[in-house]
Amino acid sequence: MSDRKMRVMVVDDAALVRLFYRETLGKAGFIVDEALNGLEALEKVLSEAPDLLIVDVNMPQMDGITFIKTLRRQEPPMAGIPVLIASTEAGPQDFAAAREAGANFYLVKPIDPDRLLAFAAMMCGVAA
Amino acid sequence: MNEFLEQFVIECREQVEQATADLLALEKSPSNIERLDSAFRAFHSLKGGAGIVDFDAMAEAVHGAEDGLSYARKGTIAISTTLIGDCLACLDQVIQWVDEIARRGDLPRDASKQAAAIVARFSRGDGVAAGADPRPQVEQSVGWVTSILAEHPDAAREARCALRYTPSADCFFSQEDPLARIARLPGLLTIDVSPVHPWPQLCDLDPFQCNLVLVALSSASETEIHKALADVLDRCHIEALEETVRRPSSSLSLDARSLLEAQLGLLESTVNDDFAGKVASAGVVVANVFLAQGDSGLAVPIEEATAQSLAEGQTAPLAHAIKAILFEEAAKPGAPLAFGTEHDTAARALRIDARRVDSLVDLTTELTVAKNAIGHVVALAQNGEEGLEQLLKQRFAVLDRLIGELQQGVLALRVLPLRHVFQRFPRLLRDIAAGLDKSVNLVTEGAETEADKAIVEMLFEPLLHVVRNAIDHGIEDKAGRLALGKPAVATLKLRGYREGENVVIEIADDGQGINVERVRQVAIDRGVATAEALAAMSESQVTALIFEPGFSTAQSVTDLSGRGVGMDVVRTIIVRMGGTVGIESRPGAGTAVRFTLPFSVMLTRIMVVSAAGQKFGIPLDAVVETLRVGPDAIARVGAAQAIVLRNQTVPVIDLREALNLHGESDRRRDAILVVANVDGVSSALQVDVIGERFDAMLKPLEGLLSGTPGLAGSTLLGDGSILLILDLTELCR
Amino acid sequence: MTVKAAVNGIVVLSGVCPSEDAEPLQRYLQADPVPTVDWRTCETLHAAVFQVLLVARPHMVGPPGDDFLRRLAGHLPR
Repeated sequence: MSDRKMRVMVVDDAALVRLFYRETLGKAGFIVDEALNGLEALEKVLSEAPDLLIVDVNMPQMDGITFIKTLRRQEPPMAGIPVLIASTEAGPQDFAAAREAGANFYLVKPIDPDRLLAFAAMMCGVAA
Repeated sequence: MNEFLEQFVIECREQVEQATADLLALEKSPSNIERLDSAFRAFHSLKGGAGIVDFDAMAEAVHGAEDGLSYARKGTIAISTTLIGDCLACLDQVIQWVDEIARRGDLPRDASKQAAAIVARFSRGDGVAAGADPRPQVEQSVGWVTSILAEHPDAAREARCALRYTPSADCFFSQEDPLARIARLPGLLTIDVSPVHPWPQLCDLDPFQCNLVLVALSSASETEIHKALADVLDRCHIEALEETVRRPSSSLSLDARSLLEAQLGLLESTVNDDFAGKVASAGVVVANVFLAQGDSGLAVPIEEATAQSLAEGQTAPLAHAIKAILFEEAAKPGAPLAFGTEHDTAARALRIDARRVDSLVDLTTELTVAKNAIGHVVALAQNGEEGLEQLLKQRFAVLDRLIGELQQGVLALRVLPLRHVFQRFPRLLRDIAAGLDKSVNLVTEGAETEADKAIVEMLFEPLLHVVRNAIDHGIEDKAGRLALGKPAVATLKLRGYREGENVVIEIADDGQGINVERVRQVAIDRGVATAEALAAMSESQVTALIFEPGFSTAQSVTDLSGRGVGMDVVRTIIVRMGGTVGIESRPGAGTAVRFTLPFSVMLTRIMVVSAAGQKFGIPLDAVVETLRVGPDAIARVGAAQAIVLRNQTVPVIDLREALNLHGESDRRRDAILVVANVDGVSSALQVDVIGERFDAMLKPLEGLLSGTPGLAGSTLLGDGSILLILDLTELCR
Repeated sequence: MTVKAAVNGIVVLSGVCPSEDAEPLQRYLQADPVPTVDWRTCETLHAAVFQVLLVARPHMVGPPGDDFLRRLAGHLPR
């Protein structure tokens, strides 16, 4: 088990939400990268090589679901990066759409910071 | 046995049914792709199921068959009788294992050996990939760590390292002794040895070719083990086990479980060109969950399963690895349960139609109303009201009807379609007819007819006897049939239908019929009937003699009929179930045997006892215990006798005296007592011998015996003679 | 060393049993319809010898004095 810091890329068009992630995850020892929408995320994913993606659903240019679908069709290792969806929607059809697209888990906003940390840690393979 | 295993047993049996039907159909028409695919899917499901409950030997064996069918699907090998036969043999083994699992909750000890034998069948021959390297390295390693940890829980607690050493076959010549090497390992806790290839016979064994796989657990660190195995590292798998947790599934947090379950859901979602991405990400997440807990030992099999899934293009390996961990607690049988009261009526699960349960629920509501209505009458009576007889009668009639419906409804839960027993025959026929030079086509009718579960399950043995008899003696060989102008392929028909309160099963063949003359002759020869008696019998009465005990018209005993023709056994079994047997024969045209059985049965467990040389049956539900006591234990009090049992005085009733049988019990010898409890009062029946026990439906006595006190009914013994069942209530008064 | 006791036909494995013992052991066990092996005084045995035991599955008279051999005993009939 390596001791390197885990890298999380957060994809959300709201600056406040990105700040929340930066503060919560950053303080816990994660390196936090940011993208404003799906398109930007696709561009950055290959160079940043995050261990985890936290993705919003409603974004301009390219929404979260489309982003994940596109991601999963790329070449490895990009295609296999774990994805956590964070969205205000909480209906069964939203969960189903996320799963079909290829998301590994779904958290409903507003997200409790401890919960965010617990899942981020588990999905990255580090102790919380 | 827990619910999970019960479900596993049910599903395995269903898959085997399906696979058998597919394989037989495939043999008849090898180009039937649907059947081939269906058979393949059935084996695949069997393998998956075995993987979930960690029955590795079974998974291996089924994998061999699955591989064979996979090559057939690709066209690499042809669908031959051998392949079908090997697949069927695999299914036979699976059923044996499933029965054992149903009994004991686990595979038998030698399951690995049996599995190896099955795998070997598929590996022989043209060595099309299935021969050379039985399975990819990845699949072998998934689970070996979990297995050894599970099999040696005490060692597992202290183990820091698990290792698997597969020495090269010629290592002995390089002075390598794998056993000695393991013996010298620091901190050795436990060792398991198994063969790489199935063992040959002792005479064919070359002891100097190393055929061993050695798996061990050690309390030493990974570094120390590496050092000890330095020069053979290329033949070893070494896994470091994290200190803290050995049975990690029990320490999965709720959140962790949610994550794992979510990955399973992801794997089950539709996949197209996003397959690799979904599988890879799911695998990473699951592995990371374990790493986050400090369980790197569990992460490794997940990584391997992920690699395998990606390589094979199937989500199954990873999905099953995840399920295995999620269900580890549920799946492990744990300490063997004490099946104290099991006997032969093992608890078996039933598939129940939900509608039947719903109608029973409605019935309970109606019963409650009926009960309240009677309670009302009670209240009226208590208030001094008179002339309530009519009202009470009415309300009682309602209750009576409802209780009748309840009985029907409950018994109806236990019904199974006859298909359950009919479907075993196409496969058997294949085996039976292959041994003789006869061609038989099996036709079934009315397989959807339902009957009580007890009856359907009991039917197999008598049906088998009759079918064997029909094939052995009734049906002529191919040449014979053609000479008679009959089609070369004989027809055997199994037919089931309801007739009022009964279920009727017919077995009809278009063979040569029963030779009445020969029956007469054999009856005389074997003392079954005298010449005078025979002269007075009609042809059908003579024909029915074949059910008499001691009868057999076999001219040659094939090894199929080894247990005797068994028609008397057939009658015994059917009568014990409360039914009757009949037979019709048309010389040259065929024979039809008919079983008429009650639709539902209430079975009583009977114990046979002997007194004055005569046998009687005692219903076991009243029997508390059986004892053997010395002659001094029985105290005589006037004309009566008694024994002191655990500070209670229990009257002793000598069965001879009670039934007015001849002779006297020998008072100098030990006495054998059957202690029964009737209406709260204990009595001990003295008998000479205690015999077998079996289940039977009691037939009420008719005719001369019907008024006899002390007798509750009758049934048949194995030799066909009648057994009178004692009514303990009257005897013990 | 592998020795066959003439009297009762039991094969005795005693002390150190190197790979050379494998063939004689195999012969003895093949010849006997109900083979029995007494390994109570056995200290070590070579893997080749163990293979013969695994295949022949004779009735084992034990337990062996050595700890490692006792661990292996579970693979053989009692």
